[in-house]
This record gives sequence, structure tokens and C-alpha cells, in this order.
Amino acid sequence: MTDQKPLLEARQVFKGFFGNPVLKGVDIALHPGRVHALLGENGAGKSTLINLLSGALQPDSGTIAVDGRPVGRFSPAAARAAGIAVVQQELSLTADLSIAENIGLGAFPRRFGLIDYAELHRGVRDVCGMVGLTEPLDMPVADLALGRRQMVEIAKALYRKPRVLILDEPTSSLSAHEAGILADVIETLRDRGTALLYISHRLNEVQALCSHVTVLKDGGVTADQSLSGIDGEGLVRLMVGRETGDLFPPRATANPGALRIGAEGFSAGLVRDIAFRGHAGEIVGIGGLVGQGQEDLLLGLYGAIPAKAAKAEVSGRPGLPADVGAANAAGLVYVPADRKHEGLVLPHSIASNLILPSLGRLARNGFRDRTAEGGLIADLARRLTIKGDVARPVQALSGGNQQKVALAKWLPLDPSVLLLNDPTRGVDIETKREIYLMLRGFAAEGRLVIIASSDTPELVHLCDRVVVLREGAVAAELSGEAISEEAIVGAAMGVDRKGAAA
Amino acid sequence: MNAVKTIFRNPPLLTFVLVALVWLVASLTLRGFGAYGHLRYLLELAAVIGIAAAGQTLVILMGGIDLSVGAVITVTAILLPLISPAWDPTGLVGIASALAIATGIGFLNGAGAAYLRVPPIIMTLAMATFLQGLLVIVAGGSAVTVSNPAVILLGQSRPLGIPSGVLLWLAVSAVVLVLIHRMPIGARFLAIGANPLAARLSGVSLPRNTLILYALSGFFAGLAGILVLGMNRQGYVGIGDPYLLTSIAAVVLGGTSILGGRGTYAGTIPGAILLVTTTALITVVNASPGWRSIMFGTLILALLLISGREARR
Repeated sequence: MTDQKPLLEARQVFKGFFGNPVLKGVDIALHPGRVHALLGENGAGKSTLINLLSGALQPDSGTIAVDGRPVGRFSPAAARAAGIAVVQQELSLTADLSIAENIGLGAFPRRFGLIDYAELHRGVRDVCGMVGLTEPLDMPVADLALGRRQMVEIAKALYRKPRVLILDEPTSSLSAHEAGILADVIETLRDRGTALLYISHRLNEVQALCSHVTVLKDGGVTADQSLSGIDGEGLVRLMVGRETGDLFPPRATANPGALRIGAEGFSAGLVRDIAFRGHAGEIVGIGGLVGQGQEDLLLGLYGAIPAKAAKAEVSGRPGLPADVGAANAAGLVYVPADRKHEGLVLPHSIASNLILPSLGRLARNGFRDRTAEGGLIADLARRLTIKGDVARPVQALSGGNQQKVALAKWLPLDPSVLLLNDPTRGVDIETKREIYLMLRGFAAEGRLVIIASSDTPELVHLCDRVVVLREGAVAAELSGEAISEEAIVGAAMGVDRKGAAA
Repeated sequence: MNAVKTIFRNPPLLTFVLVALVWLVASLTLRGFGAYGHLRYLLELAAVIGIAAAGQTLVILMGGIDLSVGAVITVTAILLPLISPAWDPTGLVGIASALAIATGIGFLNGAGAAYLRVPPIIMTLAMATFLQGLLVIVAGGSAVTVSNPAVILLGQSRPLGIPSGVLLWLAVSAVVLVLIHRMPIGARFLAIGANPLAARLSGVSLPRNTLILYALSGFFAGLAGILVLGMNRQGYVGIGDPYLLTSIAAVVLGGTSILGGRGTYAGTIPGAILLVTTTALITVVNASPGWRSIMFGTLILALLLISGREARR
């Protein structure tokens, strides 16, 4: 290991969004010639930290230091000037420009004010050679497969000859061969003295490439240590484990009733050919890393995206609901994760949002019954403790109260199956507790609650059964005592657990 | 002070106040403007725009737009005399068939938007172009004179001194206002206009409501076409053209968001009156037709800046 000064550091950085603290005093130091791993669950604050290190965001307090010197106002331009390059998880390429133009974008060599294409291609050919890009340099990026585009993205970072390279899940869209090339590139850069920060959910890669690890958890650093002598399970243990307090209501003895949803060979969106069951009175959790098909599973069952199944039964009827209307009629309701865009009509009043699914049911002779509507709205607002004037636009409410409206609007339909997508994301603790109590109550009343969540403790302490999805397939199905954070995170990341037959 | 604030927060009311002011000032300064006969005439002209804009209001509330309004008016005005059967002394059969055709055209617009996923602006524009071509083939270049007694009655009679067209507009207004504010479907239109995805996930059927809306827009445009025909006694290619821009302008002048999800027909009503009043004032000023068009366009823009402003979010 080196005893040189760190090239890039964050010292006690704090960052919050809309009063929600995301990073609470984080330290990280990137040394030259070292591959540093950054681990953490969804929502632990990894992306925010990367944005701070690359100047995309400013810390609320704390400092970013380059070469040991604190930088006052760190901007993306200043970061570039300091030799910091980021390979983003979301591709930042322009589809209509060529490979060479994308790689050189923002750093074009010029001659007489025009782009010097000969010079550009010379530089680009070097970096393309490093990452194994053999396609013609003037080929539009739109014609490349996703994995090849990721390589262009990496080449783009290399073209700037960075001293610090941050790789945010670079292998998520790469084939094994491309991932191998990337590993070689990383080793070459390390030997040249580049400081690397490597974020990945693939723990075997982390173990193979990295020598030091920082683990983030709920916005704090829980580990900052050498990786030698730590195995996959050790890494998982570093990422989970926290006191849960009395946030969750006591789990009732699981007493599943009649089959409400049963599907075999079910496919929808990312989800490929899985079996899924849910019974009355159960809370079924769906876990996994972000974007492994959790949302598609819910939307497919809800009839909101095309889905097919070899054999399916929903609320006693064969087949899947054809559309949302049919799903509602079968007693299924859905609360989306993105309540601002999918769950609520933001500019409309709380009352209009609450009444929307019940409009037809309350109407008499085709006309709206204002008295009945008013009574129902008042009742819902009282039951969910939504305070204040219901004529206010729903966008005036806090995240937690918006979520309560998104949930409450379905209650008049007396749903037998509730599909919830990350219902506590961005919700304050107090409202979380209310929502958990409500969900437990629903299950006790004999409803089936299916909850997709990126919050692992929620799955562990709330659910009777947890289905972990990975790349659209069921990676594990856990129930009772077998549900633990280690088991869920391990299954989500594809870590083989020794002796875990559950 | 508070009263002023209320007015500015309520676009329909603001537009009404604007109309009242313009009428007051014009009556005091221009000879003959304030005569009962003249004001009645203005309302009669506004009725056509108001009825055509009824469908347009609904479509815009849902976040769409209907650019075939003018073409549908022309189609009804030309086809009605041709399809009214001679054996029907009342003329009601002809009216019903013409309205059925207009509604059918709107239904096709809706089907294109709902099932073929053609953007409404393209779908209705293509439909308008298609209809215009069809009319040139059917009617040639010549005007068609109407002899349908019901249509003439609608266009010419004045029970109790009020033109029938204005009475028809009152009826249409009542129906549309009830539809928007007192029926579930109106709340659904608004929800779709403000957030189609959230509405769909709340169980609101997009195809069903799209079909209903564009069919309604076709129906109201057809109704406006019949009224125009009755007032003119002649239908010709191009008779509906002025009503496309004015139907949209009336909606927006009334404070309805062009983006959908917010607004009411209660604003479109004074919007339509404001439009014809402005046109009348421009006509009084002795200008060449070219300058009149330029002034009209400028005035619409100016009026929109005053009354139809998008509320800042």
C-alpha cells in the first residue's frame, strides 16, 4: 500500500434533500494506485456521495479535498480540471453522435476553431484499444448494443486521462467477456497510479478487484477497512444489521387463508417465467436490488402492463386481469412507488384524489352524489389522520401524507389484494409506523398484501413471506425464521450461502 | 382589494368582467354598438363559437385537442341539405343523420387517438384534411342551399325576441357544465388531463374516455355546423374554417389550461363572447381585410396575456 496523500477526499460531508438527511457525516479517501470499493444497500447514499465527489452536488457541510487541499466551490468543471472522471450508471451518451464524437464530447481537440477529427480519432483509437472497442469510430452510438455503449462510456472517461476514476456499477450491462476486459483496464490504471472508486452490487467482482472498502448504511460509514480476509458473507454482514426499535408492529402468527393469487410460468416486463402465490391474510414481500423485475411483477398482476402466465388464478377466477379496470373489479388495487407521477393527480385537490376510484360507485343515476362523496372523503381523512382542508391541492402535502392519500383512495373499494410498490420510500418514520400498522391490520382482516420494497428491514420485520427477485427470476423464497437481512441481501446479490438450505 | 384578488384568481369570472367592461365602454363610445339588436346579433355569432368550443373545451380538459372542428362544421353544413329526405316535413331526420355523421367522425378521431396511439393533434388534422378533400369531391365548388325547415327555424326564429341559436347555446352550456361538474365522467376527464398515468392506475379507462370525448366533440361541432347553416341558409366549402382557431381561443381565453387538467366551460362562454365582440370592434374600425386579420391575431394574443394566463406553479 502507498503512504501517499489521498488524491480525493470527502471529510465529514452532510447532505440532505428537502429535510431528509441522506449523508450524515461521511468520510472517504481515495488513494493513488488503489481500487476502493463503495458498498451499501439501495438508498444508503452511494449515488449522493458520488455526486459530491464529482462536483455535481454541493455538500451541506463538510469539505471535499483534492490533493489534500479543501476545495471551496466544487463544480463539475472543477472536478474535470482536477482529473476526476465518473462512469455513470445511467448512460450519458448522445445516441446520434458517433463513437469518436461521444468520447471526445466537451474535450474536442481543435484546429482553427474547428474540430480536428484526425487528432480526435488518434486519441480515441488509443482508449478504444484499451477497452476492446473494435467498431468503426464514426459509427453512431445508437447502433451499439447496451454493453458496447457502456464500454464507450468507459472509454470516454479514459480519454480524459483521469487521476481519479469513479465507476458506478460499470458491469451491470456488460457480458462476462467485457467485464473481464474492464477488470484488466482497472488493473492497468491502478498500476499507473490512478485512484479508483468502484461501486458494484456484484460482490465477487469487488473481492477480485478491490483492496479497500467503505460501507455506507443509512447515510453513515459503518466500515472503512482493508478487504483482505473478508469473504462474501462478511461483506453482506457489514452492509446490514441495525436496531429496528419498535418501528414494526408485532408479527401475528401467519395464518394464510384461501388462495387469492396463483400464477405459474408468469412473465411480465423483466419478469420471466416465475411462479407466484399469495393467500388471504398474508403479507408477501418482494425484495431484490433495484430493477430486477419487482415493479413489473406488480404491474403485470394489476393488468397495467402486458403479462402472460401458463396458469393463473386471481380472486377465484382463472386468468390474469386484462386491464386495470378488470383488476379493480377482481379486488386488486395498486399503490405505485412514484406517487408524484403515478399515484396522484398532483394539481388536483386532496378530495378529488381520494374520490377518483370511487366516482362511479357513488354516482346515482349517472350524477355525482356530493353528499355521499363529502361523507366518504371526511371519513377517509379521519381514518388516515390527513389533517387540514381537503380542498387543498395534494401537492401541498408532505411525502408521508401524500402516500396516505395514495393508499386511502383505495379503501372504499374494500380491496381483497393490495399491491404496494415501495410504499414507505421518502416517508418519515412516524408515517412509516402508521403505514405498517395499517398493513398488518389489512392482513388481519383477511386481505392479501403484496409489498415490493427496497428497504430490507421492512421485508424482514413486516412480511410473512419474502420472494427475492434477481434478473427477473426468483432467487429465493423465504418464510418464517428464514427471513433475515443476510438471507435477503445475499440472495439479491447472488452470494451462495454456506449451509443455508432455507 | 379582496374582490379584485378573487376576480384574478377566477379566470371565468375575470373573462366575464372583461366582456362587461368592453361592452360598456364600446356602448358609450360607439354609436349603435349598445343597441339591443346589435348585442343580440353578437350573442348569436358567439353561440356558434360557443357550441363548437363546447366539445373543444372537453377535449382540451382531457389534455387533447381537436383540429377537425372546422372541417366537421363544413361537412355538416354541406351534407345536411343533401341528405335531408324530401318525405320528412319536419326536417328532424336530416338533422339527426347529420349529427350522427359528425359524431361518427369524432368517434374515428377518438379511435385513432386511443387505439392507434396517433397523437390527437396529428389524428384530427389528418381527419380535417381528409374531410376537406372528400367535400370537394362531393359538393364540387358550389354552395348548397338548405330547405330543411327545422334548420331554417333554428337559424332564423326568435321566440320571445331571443334568437333560437342563443337558446340552443344555453341548453348546450347547461348540459356541458353538468357533465363536467356533476357527473363522474367529468372528474375522470380532468384527472386524465392532469395526469394520465395516475388516472389509468386508478382504474380510469383511457381508451373509453378518449372515444367518448372525441365523439362528443364531433357532436357539438356538428351542432354548430347546423346552426351556421340555418343562419346562412347556404353551406359551402370553407364555411367552418373560422371556427377552428376561435373554438380553441375561446377555451383558452376562459382560463382553461391548454395542457389539460384544469378549467371549466364556464370560462369558455365569456371567452366566445369576448372573441366576437373584438371581431365586431375591428370591423367598425375601417381597415382593409389584411389589417383586420393582423389586428385580430394581435388582439387574441393580447387578450390571452390578460385573461388566459397559465397560473404559475
